[in-house]
Amino acid sequence: MSELVNEPSARRELAKGVVGGTAIVFGDDVNTDVIIPGRYLVSIDPAELAEHAFEPLGPELQQRLRASDVVVAGRNFGCGSAREQASTCLIGAGISAVVARSFSRVFFRNAINTGLVAVECPDAVDAVEDGAEVLVDYGAGTVTVGGQSFGFAPYPPGLRVILEAGGLIPHLMQQAKAGQRG
Amino acid sequence: MNMVEKILARASGRQSVEPGDVVVAEVDLLIMHDLSGWLTSRVFDKQVGGPVRHPERVAMVFDHHYSPPTEDAADMLKANREWARRNGIQLFDCGNGNIHHTVVRRGLVRPGAIVVGSDSHTPVHGALGAFAAALGNDSHAGTVLPYGKAWFRVPETVRVELVGTPPPGTTARDVALWLVGQIGEGGLIYAAVEFAGPYVKELPFWDRWLFPLLCVDLGAKCSFVEPDEVTEEFVRSLPPGAADRPAHSDGGEAARVLRFDVGGVAPQVACPPTVGNLADVSALAGTPVQYAELGGHAGGRLEDFRAAAEVLQGRRVHPDVRFNVVPSSREVFTEAVREGLVLALHEAGATWFPPSTGSNQAYNMGAMAAGESMISTHARNFPGRNGSAEANMYLAAARTVAASAVTGTITDAGELA
Repeated sequence: MSELVNEPSARRELAKGVVGGTAIVFGDDVNTDVIIPGRYLVSIDPAELAEHAFEPLGPELQQRLRASDVVVAGRNFGCGSAREQASTCLIGAGISAVVARSFSRVFFRNAINTGLVAVECPDAVDAVEDGAEVLVDYGAGTVTVGGQSFGFAPYPPGLRVILEAGGLIPHLMQQAKAGQRG
Repeated sequence: MNMVEKILARASGRQSVEPGDVVVAEVDLLIMHDLSGWLTSRVFDKQVGGPVRHPERVAMVFDHHYSPPTEDAADMLKANREWARRNGIQLFDCGNGNIHHTVVRRGLVRPGAIVVGSDSHTPVHGALGAFAAALGNDSHAGTVLPYGKAWFRVPETVRVELVGTPPPGTTARDVALWLVGQIGEGGLIYAAVEFAGPYVKELPFWDRWLFPLLCVDLGAKCSFVEPDEVTEEFVRSLPPGAADRPAHSDGGEAARVLRFDVGGVAPQVACPPTVGNLADVSALAGTPVQYAELGGHAGGRLEDFRAAAEVLQGRRVHPDVRFNVVPSSREVFTEAVREGLVLALHEAGATWFPPSTGSNQAYNMGAMAAGESMISTHARNFPGRNGSAEANMYLAAARTVAASAVTGTITDAGELA
């Protein structure tokens, strides 16, 4: 049982509001038991969790995951359990964004709350092949694949401030420091 | 407004809400099990701190463990106990039962309440007319514990109307599984799913329970059955808890209505790798199983033990099968003792386990070797959830589980000689 890493997400931003890099592509209905098996849920350390991310799919895929920056997936990504570690383990593996046709709602909520950029952009998903360069500008609401740019509905301001802070708790702590805890 | 909208409006101090609104609502009950409780308490202590705003509205149930099998597990439970005591929250230790069944049986879930939890099956409490949703640990640690609140986007409502009468061998569990196949996994992402129609309205409470339970597999945010006489009678049977504030729809329109005739539904089996991978039992007849289990969020009910006892009457569990029986709560076990079900199943060759969530994720029981198979009343069947990723979990109704335990292969109870 590891101690908690007390830092906000290690998300690397290429520019303010822009994340991305090499993509790794998955299909539809990727569930949380595949993303992070239940036996590792006693940990909340992103680095430790990352060692077991996508373990059921084998070491070759895990190696490709660690060399990637963006997860691209089909519909209903992150279905199954409500475990936050499904998002945390991806952050630990160096993933800064997930672009999917759609998300399970708890995964989406957990992604925002842990500072992982998650966008629904089916057109971009259609255009991505494994290993492609994908850039997500979550401020402007665009996903760029090669030379092509695809739009998505930008985040409501309330969610954007959480992402910019690196997650829900860092955001709340910033607010608390500013004396807003009521 | 419908039931969910009324509850969210009440809890956020608004006159009305509409789908798409984001509200900050007062939470009536936060439920955590031994695993999510451990995570949430760590995050809260290390990143948030301060007092728990409403400790009486927080409950922790140890259900993945009924007795710690390792020192690590014992350490975790000990830390949880100390955290619960220090913060004054309600603790239900090992042996009390499955998280969702326990908090209902103890009277903590009330109609009209807002219930949140990290367990993805938390929406099941919509069966009592509560608004119940699964949130992650950071939401609990960051907002629910320190402020007693959480943010919600008001969901669109999809009404699922069920009509018709299924054949005699088909139970509510079969119909619920069948629906996942009909609607499709992720078919209702983010929706509030209302289960309605004459079939649902005529079901007793613990059979209704099986429908909101599956809404997570449809991708929904929450689910509910409009409270009626069945709900009221069930709530009267519970020990006194928090105030009842039942909310009733006043004609709000659903965004979509889906109608299904359940008249022809045969007993179902959900095959690995997902809950939506359904087949009629007859299509799988003859598939060998080494384990059978009545337990988990969707099982371990009195109704399941009665069904199994009926199937096992005059029969015995096959020598190649371990048939494990896990009550969902102490209350259910008491009733099973009184009805003679404990002796009946025991004498037929089944093994009783302590009230808990049973083989769910195989923390305390239920790991399988490569090539082994289990048929159970559990809610999930993802590969690797119960030991080897090469093992198979089949999900079915109690009748089918018991019949399969008798023959050692997946069997329709109606086909038993």
